[in-house]
Amino acid sequence: MQSSFDLQYIIELMPILLKYLGVTMEMALWGFLFALIIALTLALVRVFKIAVIQHIASLYISFFRGTPLLVQLFLLYYGFPQFMPIFVGMDAFTAAIIGLSLHFSAYMAESMRAAILGIDKSQMEACLSIGMTRLQAMKRIILPQASRVATPSLMNYFIDMIKSTSLAFTLGVAEIMAKAQMEASSSFKFFESFLAVAVIYWVVVIFFTRIQHLLEYKLNKAY
Amino acid sequence: MISVSQLSKKFGDLAVLKEIDFEVAKGEIVVIIGPSGTGKSTLLRCLNYLETPTTGHITIGPASIDATSYKAKEVTALRKQSSFVFQNYSLFANKTAIQNVAESLITVWNTPKHDALATAEAILIKVGLAEKLDVYPSQLSGGQQQRVGIARAMAAKGEVILFDEPTSALDPEWVDEVLAVMKKLAFEKQTMIVVTHEMQFAKEVADRVIFMEDGYIVEQGTPQQIFTNPEHERTKAFVKRALKQH
Repeated sequence: MQSSFDLQYIIELMPILLKYLGVTMEMALWGFLFALIIALTLALVRVFKIAVIQHIASLYISFFRGTPLLVQLFLLYYGFPQFMPIFVGMDAFTAAIIGLSLHFSAYMAESMRAAILGIDKSQMEACLSIGMTRLQAMKRIILPQASRVATPSLMNYFIDMIKSTSLAFTLGVAEIMAKAQMEASSSFKFFESFLAVAVIYWVVVIFFTRIQHLLEYKLNKAY
Repeated sequence: MISVSQLSKKFGDLAVLKEIDFEVAKGEIVVIIGPSGTGKSTLLRCLNYLETPTTGHITIGPASIDATSYKAKEVTALRKQSSFVFQNYSLFANKTAIQNVAESLITVWNTPKHDALATAEAILIKVGLAEKLDVYPSQLSGGQQQRVGIARAMAAKGEVILFDEPTSALDPEWVDEVLAVMKKLAFEKQTMIVVTHEMQFAKEVADRVIFMEDGYIVEQGTPQQIFTNPEHERTKAFVKRALKQH
């Protein structure tokens, strides 16, 4: 079946899809926040080489980097409830946020660790020499410097995460991708529907890329 | 006030410090000289526990530590008794000059921020950097950075300031301003241990000069003794060479 391109349909579809952008962004923002917390914990465990836990951290990172996000989401949402009762009541939205944060934290932990290790060793020595503890040094001197180094790559992961929220539709979360899929199946205008959703993702990503550049500019000016 | 006994440090099979013993009295200015790679810096770094000694005992003021059985708490306590001036300054890159100096007061000694900054300002004025309080290290010359480094060490409330070749990384034009600050401190009877190749400084300022070679203290005495009338052949040879260069 060949049909002509329907611009009018896209214009009408846009506001309908945009209503679901909130769900997409909510998943991305919560996912990123939790990912940051988990990643920082993992990075510090590995930097300080804390006995036993550092091996668990390595295993965690290896698993979540070594398996596809989609598989992890299915395992979490469809698989785990069969074995662990606490997961039974979990809704798809929550599962998606957990899955995204676990997955991305593994990548982010590695770039944080690299940023921390990239700070000259003499900065830590200077802290210790005036009587600071390693933890104080980390908090006040090393992490502020490392965050400047890590910001560009962390922002890239955030942008990647926004796009990856589209996989949540496979769990049944009503976000923009799911809505586009639904509209496409009822109108049979697959090209227009998916083009519309692609444009929305693209514009959102361009917006956050601008913010990334502004942030980097500010950070580079700092000292 | 400072007492070091039987201090040894090995890196693998290489013995860098061999059962060093020495003492430093309060207000004394000790200068350590000797050929490169003979353990002078390692000795200084052991005193601050930036390097962990293999064996030996260190006491600085009320803090005491035994290298064979030490606890993290003891290390922190020992470090509080001394502060360190690095060859490459090692200022906190993300802090301004005044924040660099105030950091130990705020973080280690829990001084209220306002008081810490006031103290830091007074110290920076003393080292001649009144104009540079809010400047980041990257905007300072080598000489200015090292003066902030000394100011940071002064603020840390330690009993002794350890100087690890403080002028070796500086362009010649900045050496004098740093030495001037150190002389000022020496004049005020601040206890100092200085590793340096500045023989003129050692001659003028030191109460005692220690000559180290091969991980041993070969000889120690007043600058007069060491520079004009050394006992050991090795000291003689080193001093002769060193004075010729300067």
